[in-house]
Amino acid sequence: MFLLAMRSLRQRPGRFAGTLLAAFLGAAITMTFNSLHDTAAAPGIDDASAETLNLSGGVVGGYGTLLVFFAIASTLTVTVRQREEEMELLRRTGATPRQLGRMVVGEAAVVALAATVLAILPAMLGGRVLLGMFHDSGQVARDVDYAFGPIALSAGFGVTLLASVGAAFLAVRRATRAGRRAPRTRLRALGGALALLGGAAGVSTTFALDATDPILMAPAAEGAILLSIGLAAFSPALLRALLACLGRPFAALAGPSGYLAVLNLRRNAARLAGILMPLVLFTGIATATLCMQAVESDAIEASGLTKSVEDKNMETLNLIVVGIIVVFACVMLINSLYAATAYRVREFGRQRLTGATPRQVIGMVGAEATLLTVTGVLLGTAAGLAGLVPFTLVRADEALPGQAPWIWLGIVAVAVAATVVTAVATARRGLRVPAVAAVAVAA
Amino acid sequence: MFRRNRERGHGPSAEALRLVKVGKVYRAGGQDAGKPGEAGDRESTVTALHDVTLSLPTGSFTAVMGPSGSGKSTLLQCAAGLERPDSGIVVVDGEEVTAGDEAQLAVFRRLRIGFVFQQYNLLPTLTVLENTTLPLRLARRRVNLPRAREILGQVGLGDRLGHLPDQLSGGQRQRVAIARALVTEPSVIFADEPTGALDLRSAREVLALLREAVSRHGRTVVMVTHDPVAASYADAVLFLADGRLAGSLAAPTVDAVAERLAHLGDEVYAAGRPEFRAGV
Ligand SMILES: Nc1ncnc2c1ncn2[C@@H]1O[C@H](COP(=O)(O)OP(=O)(O)OP(=O)(O)O)[C@@H](O)[C@H]1O
Ligand SMILES: [Mg+2]
Repeated sequence: MFLLAMRSLRQRPGRFAGTLLAAFLGAAITMTFNSLHDTAAAPGIDDASAETLNLSGGVVGGYGTLLVFFAIASTLTVTVRQREEEMELLRRTGATPRQLGRMVVGEAAVVALAATVLAILPAMLGGRVLLGMFHDSGQVARDVDYAFGPIALSAGFGVTLLASVGAAFLAVRRATRAGRRAPRTRLRALGGALALLGGAAGVSTTFALDATDPILMAPAAEGAILLSIGLAAFSPALLRALLACLGRPFAALAGPSGYLAVLNLRRNAARLAGILMPLVLFTGIATATLCMQAVESDAIEASGLTKSVEDKNMETLNLIVVGIIVVFACVMLINSLYAATAYRVREFGRQRLTGATPRQVIGMVGAEATLLTVTGVLLGTAAGLAGLVPFTLVRADEALPGQAPWIWLGIVAVAVAATVVTAVATARRGLRVPAVAAVAVAA
Repeated sequence: MFRRNRERGHGPSAEALRLVKVGKVYRAGGQDAGKPGEAGDRESTVTALHDVTLSLPTGSFTAVMGPSGSGKSTLLQCAAGLERPDSGIVVVDGEEVTAGDEAQLAVFRRLRIGFVFQQYNLLPTLTVLENTTLPLRLARRRVNLPRAREILGQVGLGDRLGHLPDQLSGGQRQRVAIARALVTEPSVIFADEPTGALDLRSAREVLALLREAVSRHGRTVVMVTHDPVAASYADAVLFLADGRLAGSLAAPTVDAVAERLAHLGDEVYAAGRPEFRAGV
């Protein structure tokens, strides 16, 4: 089975690009921040420097590990689902679920190892940049030298490998035990409800804090993140509700392509979670954090003070964390959407044989992407605002900062571009296959 | 039953389908090759059709038979505008299909041609009724729902309108495909082994439906089949061997068809039947 895993990796390297990228980013980030622990562990380092380094090293730690896990899990689930046919064939030729599991887990482990090795150099560079930042701000003494050592390496390999193998194990278990959907949906609903509760609590805490409290931003930002996660969990249901209201008028306006798009989305809503979730997370988290940062900067400026070094560091770290989350969400979004669209070549073929022109098929994919983006952006914006408005009220005594619409438009532009461009470009490629060949078996 | 080309003022066309010297060559890699008969690396190309010329009158039911790989599917797909022949012309209902790009062909096909595939090719996310009316919607034509329901009733699916394809048996799916091919009132319906995946009884029902499309609705049907019983439902049988026409049989009976099939190899290179006219 391990040989089989290696062979399938060699033959279809493109299929693992998404997982490789997710694992690479994850390993690079984990090692970058953990190398700060290595640096802090050097002998003769003063206490203040060590504390700063260890604190910063830990900032991304928890979130980072969780994100790496989700990103790898999402890309792997897509790869496994794409290969359902191949796995079915292997099973019919006598492979046991255990053997299939070993194959997929083996592949994931190899990909994770390769990704981590590739990530070592970028992580070293990233760590150096971080340390340089601390040198400049004076938070770490100039004579502290950068070190990349056992802590970074073991965290990088450990987190990436564990996340990959765990995610592969779960993905394959799900795939080989078809027909047991209900518990998963219930689990997701439970998780979503908990996240919503936690988020609401975090956001409410904001009102109990003082306008100049240094930790004012934390509960609001984390509340927005949790609300995004909660709404993301319920996004398929909300998509269905949206289609129930807007489906008919949309189909009437958008013609045959819109008609097909609405039907496809309505009947596949559950499967679209993998695309909607990163969209909601991306919009919600980016809106909340970027706008809050703008409010904070304005407030400091308005009070007549200049930004302290710590304020600046806080801002940079904030932006780094958001950047990481946003990049991961984008990778997940593009990967899921690419895979889902590439998988539909046969369906496109059937539509063309029924009389759809290539332009109508592209129009359908574009309409689906648009509806998905609208749903994701609506939910994400709701979560983002829920965190942002209380923070702005307490900090600046207004409901929304003036820059909010512009920041929001920028975020939406990125979301629309990522979704629509990925879907349409992938569909366009799928249309190059002649329709008759596209519907033939084993295309 | 009015004929649509009369509506457009072309006058009735007695000829539903005409192929003139149609040739198709496949390269081994799967892509289309150049002109047939071209020399060069002969090993890597397959001449699927070799100068096929035929003419079918409106309102006829023709079966196409021949050994596996003899070019039957290629013939049907070229005639239906699904594949582009390398040479020759195809005329459906007085209009040439060999011109135009994929979009133009799609527009032409969805109004004039119905195609029934062995593997049904229904859309999995659409219900029976939605699948049936899809060609009309794609063509932005008014969807006559009572008419669609009536056709589905005729094919015996009146109580399954809201089902999705994967809730239907193979025979039922093929009947949906036939209803979908009928709903646009096309000039010609092509069917490639429509009974290939069906049991005996479902196969009979599907054949009776095709027969009815001809006798009741005045359509022209061209059907590829390996089954002499299926061929006996047709008015005439065309035999194909090695990409060439290898004879025909009018008013076919099961035994006569089986007999001809058995001796098909002997006739192939006995030249002298370059053209075929269905006798109706
Ligand atoms: N896309 C393709 N690429 C290359 N060769 C092809 C292609 N399609 C068909 N052929 C070849 O063209 C010839 C005719 O194929 P066709 O599918 O028309 O046969 P058929 O009579 O329908 O056979 P069957 O009864 O098995 O369906 C065969 O030799 C086949 O291998
Ligand atoms: Mg065939």
